[in-house]
This record gives sequence, structure tokens and C-alpha cells, in this order.
Amino acid sequence: MQKIATRLEPWLYSAPVLILIVAIMLVPLALGVSYAFRDIRLLNPFSGAFVGFKHFRELAGDGAFRGALVNTLWWTFSSVILQFLFGLILALLLNRPFKGRALAQALCFLPWAVPSFLSGLDWAWMFNPVVGPIPHWLYALGILSEPSNILSDPETAMWGPIVANVWWGIPFFAITMLAALQAIPKDLYEAAEIDGAGPIERFRSITVPFLAPTMAISILLRTVWIANFADLIIVMTNGGPADRTQIVASYIFTQAFRRLDFGYASAIALVLLVLLLAYSMLIVVLRQTMLTRH
Amino acid sequence: MASITIQSITKTFGTVPVLNDIDLSIADGEFVVLVGPSGCGKSTLLRMIAGLEDITAGEIRIDDRRINEVAPKDRDIAMVFQSYALYPHMTVADNMSYSLKLRKTAREKITDAIGAAAGKLGLDPLLERRPKALSGGQRQRVAMGRAIVRHPKAFLFDEPLSNLDARLREQMRAEIKRLHKSIGATSVYVTHDQIEAMTLADRIVAMHGGIIQQVGNPLDLYDRPANLFVAGFIGSPAMNFVEGHCRAGAIETDDGSKIAVPDGVHLKDGQAVTVGVRPEHVRIVAGPEAGSYAARVDLVEPTGFGTIVHVRLLGQDLKIYTLERGAAEVGQPLHIALDGARLHIFDRETTNRIG
Repeated sequence: MQKIATRLEPWLYSAPVLILIVAIMLVPLALGVSYAFRDIRLLNPFSGAFVGFKHFRELAGDGAFRGALVNTLWWTFSSVILQFLFGLILALLLNRPFKGRALAQALCFLPWAVPSFLSGLDWAWMFNPVVGPIPHWLYALGILSEPSNILSDPETAMWGPIVANVWWGIPFFAITMLAALQAIPKDLYEAAEIDGAGPIERFRSITVPFLAPTMAISILLRTVWIANFADLIIVMTNGGPADRTQIVASYIFTQAFRRLDFGYASAIALVLLVLLLAYSMLIVVLRQTMLTRH
Repeated sequence: MASITIQSITKTFGTVPVLNDIDLSIADGEFVVLVGPSGCGKSTLLRMIAGLEDITAGEIRIDDRRINEVAPKDRDIAMVFQSYALYPHMTVADNMSYSLKLRKTAREKITDAIGAAAGKLGLDPLLERRPKALSGGQRQRVAMGRAIVRHPKAFLFDEPLSNLDARLREQMRAEIKRLHKSIGATSVYVTHDQIEAMTLADRIVAMHGGIIQQVGNPLDLYDRPANLFVAGFIGSPAMNFVEGHCRAGAIETDDGSKIAVPDGVHLKDGQAVTVGVRPEHVRIVAGPEAGSYAARVDLVEPTGFGTIVHVRLLGQDLKIYTLERGAAEVGQPLHIALDGARLHIFDRETTNRIG
């Protein structure tokens, strides 16, 4: 009896947290996963039966899903890379002292505070030749042959949400990179300057190694986040024209809330979950090997 | 190797003056220590020699070359930082060879230079380690190694021992001195620690408030401080100061006691002066004698080698440094005498030394 009590003691202490975790995280997750194997359509009151792997078989033959996968890759990586590059440049600019830096910092971080739906609407209007200036500028620069809406051209539509996403997400990288930059001791740059390193060499041999861990982790987080992030696409193009901007996340949204097929949507979500988990594991392993090598 | 000439150097940060009209020449091979309290401008002066701070006005020359506008890397100087500023992702060997690689030195020459420096500093077994895996003293050595591999014209040290514990600091201090003896390079060393200044320097530059207070060899500063600041800053335990006025050929302190004016010192009647006497120049005497004072022991601090005895006298806390153990107990009355030949008399208005 005494033995059981001692065994149980730690579990009793952690019980409140465990119960919270199970109730808040695991139950909904299990429920969502279970939907993937059931026929759940809101418009059909007789649905709800267990259907096994039917959804996944269907998914394997679903051309729209495959298109969405390719679009997701395209959307995620171009958004992340551009956000990262511009964010890093912005952080480097904001890291050197100049007059009015505090104000500039606040302004640069403003897009982050704009609700994603609002920024989606904003950009959609800016790309609209009737009310927005961008098509006219692109036409004037000779990039467009006529001031048309790039969102309605299947060839260019994806660039609309990507541009909006880059604008919206730069501050995330700028903030994290700036924090990491400010943690680099100034002495190191001075020592390198005396040692004879020019600006590029100092960037290469001090800034980059110091930022690398932050870069890796923020790019990982951001990739997962953006792959799941359908707000801008829903608002700006709704997956169109001709599914050319449909990503997996927006496809889930369409299946669940337009066709009201929760079973099929859950199946897609499960596939996306597995893909992102695999990606995360890959990065974690990569990071570990990098860390142990040092 | 080179001489450094600093001429009428002034530095302001915005409107805040930091250095005011500094003149100093450092001879070839000399070890000069800039010493002073925080904010006295000593580090700024060093960083101006290194080229890490702009020069507001004046001129700095290395040998006969004006270097005001010369980039740090072209001044041919090496600097050791307080934080050591080692590159954390490079090994010890890479840290030391970085500057040589950037200067496109031949590979064999680099290997030789690193071997020689590592031998001198006892770094041989550590060459493949990263700074993270080194102790404070070892990092300090690597920072020095990084400076000496280049054979620069001058070494600049910015409080290099401040981050070490007392024991290690003592050891590294001796090592720096030995290293300077063997290399003989011109060195400028910044510290706030007057013991480091005394032990290392060929010449000390005492600074306060952006102004050079006194330049001289360590014992000169100790024996004949030019003003109240230097007198109070150099020496540990610090000098005692007693305020008084000159009356009828003697100095009358504020509580009415009298101190004889030393020979060769001329004071005007009524002149406000501060008398300085080092704790080791105050003697405990057996009984009342001519010029002795009666006092009561306030506090006793044994330091092992000697003892610091605090007494209330002449209206203030007066320290006595004695090598005699058990010379005093708290509350005990005793008689003390000042060493008349070793009094320092300062004008209270100008704070300058009178004699």
C-alpha cells in the first residue's frame, strides 16, 4: 500500500497539468484524426460511419490535391526565403545607430500588427488596376504589357499572396534577427577590424556564425507556420484562378467550409501534419548534427 | 616597434567633453600605463590610438606618421580587450592566425608564428580547442597570443586583467611584465587598478576628468604626487588627508591640533591646505613625545603581512599601517606621530602640491 502511494505521488502532483494537456491538446487532436477515417458531411444527416482508408484512396487520385501540394511548396519556400532575406537586411540596417532609429524600428514592425485579413484585402486592392497603383507601376516599368490584375492571371496569381505574405512577415524575421544581432559583443567586430577584416569579412566570420542558430530555428518555425497559413490566399484569390493558388491549407478550408466535407478535410489535414512533422524532424536532426560537430 | 606621439588630443561625445587637450609621448619600447577611475577618459584615449574612436581635435602619430585618418588595420597595432574578444567559433589556432591569414601571410610563416607564440604562452596543448572550452586565464593568454603573432608596432591593452580573479590577475600581471621584457614592444596599458599600474609601468599616466593629472615613473607618483587626486588614487591603503589652515608658522587643523610645517615648505598665513600622510608614515609611539597625538583605536584590520589600524584623530578617520602584530586593540588609547619628512602639503583651493 505504502509502495503504491510512493509510486503514485509524482503522478498526483503533475496530474492537474497532465489532465489539462490531455483535455486541451490530445482530445481534439485524436478527434480530428478520427474524422479522417469517418464519413462526416454536414449536409448529410445520415453520415458519420467509419469508412477506413476511403478518404486516403480518394486523395491519392485527387489531382487538385497534388496541385495544391506543389503550390504549397512554391508558396512556402518563396515566402520564407524572401521574408528571411528582407528581414535580415532590415535587421542589419536597424542594428547600426542613426538618428530616429527608435521611430524607424517601430514603423518597420508595424505590418506585424496588421490583421492578416486586412493586409490581404489591402494588397488585393493594390493589385486591382481600378483602385490600386501597382499594375500601373508594373506597366510603366515594362513588366506588364497592360495594367491588368496579376491576381486574375493564372500564370502570375501566386505572386500576389506571396508579395502580401512577404510584406506581412518581414518584421518577424527582422525582430528575431535584430535581437540576435544585438547579442553579438561589439568587441568582436573591433578586434576583427584591428585584425584587418573588412566589412564583408566581418559579416562572414562573425555575424553569420553568431546568427546561424537563430536563422535555423526561425526559418523552421516560419516554414511550418506559412505552410499552414491560408488567410491571405483565402482573402485575395480564394485558391483561384483555376486552382493556381490553391495550397493544401486553403484546400482543407475549401473542403471543410465550402463543401462541408469534414471527413475528407480531416484526411488532408492529417497528410499535411505528417509532412510537416517529417520536415521538422529533419531540421531538428540537421541542427543536432551541426551542434555536435561544433 | 615604434614611438607614439599624442598631441593636443580632444574628444567630445556629442557635447560631452571626454578628453581635454591631452599631450603625451611614448618612447619606443616603453610600457606606459594609463590609470584613473571609471570615466576618466583612459579607455577612450586608448581606443583613439587603436582607431576605434574618431579624434575630435589634435593629432596622433606612430613614429612620424600621422594616423588620425588611418584605418585600424593599417596602423599596425594589436589590442587585447577586457572581454578578450576571442572568436567563439574558431579554435585557438584559428583565433591566433586570423589576422595573418587576412594579411595573406604564407602558410609556413603562420605555422611558425603560432608555434612561437604558443610556446611563449604555454598554449601548445590548447591549440585545437575553442574558447568556450578554456578557463579565464587561458582565454587571456590566447588574447595575448593573438596580439603577439603579428609582431605589431605597438600593443594596446584595455583592462585585460579585470575579468580574472585576484590570484590569476597577480600571475598574469607578472607574465605580462615578463613578456614585455622579452619582446620589448611599445605598450599602452589601461587599468583602474593602481597596483597593476605601479607594478607594470615604466611610466604611469594618471588621468581624471579627461585631463592628465601627472606623468612619471611609479615611485615618483607615489613619493611626490602632483595633486590631491593622484595622492588619493595611488597607494593602498589610501593616503590620509587632514584639512587645516596655516597659522603662525604651523598648520592648525579644524579641531585645533597643530602640525609642524615641513622644512622647505613656504605657506602664507591663513592659507587653506590639506596635509596628506600615507598610513605607513604614521607611527604608533610608546608615550607622549614632541609632536605626538593621543588617539583611540576605532577599528583594526589585519591583512596578514601588516595591520591597518583606524583611529579617530584630528577630527576624522586616520589609518595607520603597521608591520607590528597586536600593536593595537579596539578602544585602546595610544599615541601616534607623523613622519614629518614625508608629509605632503596641498593647496586646498588649487589641489596642487605645495611641498
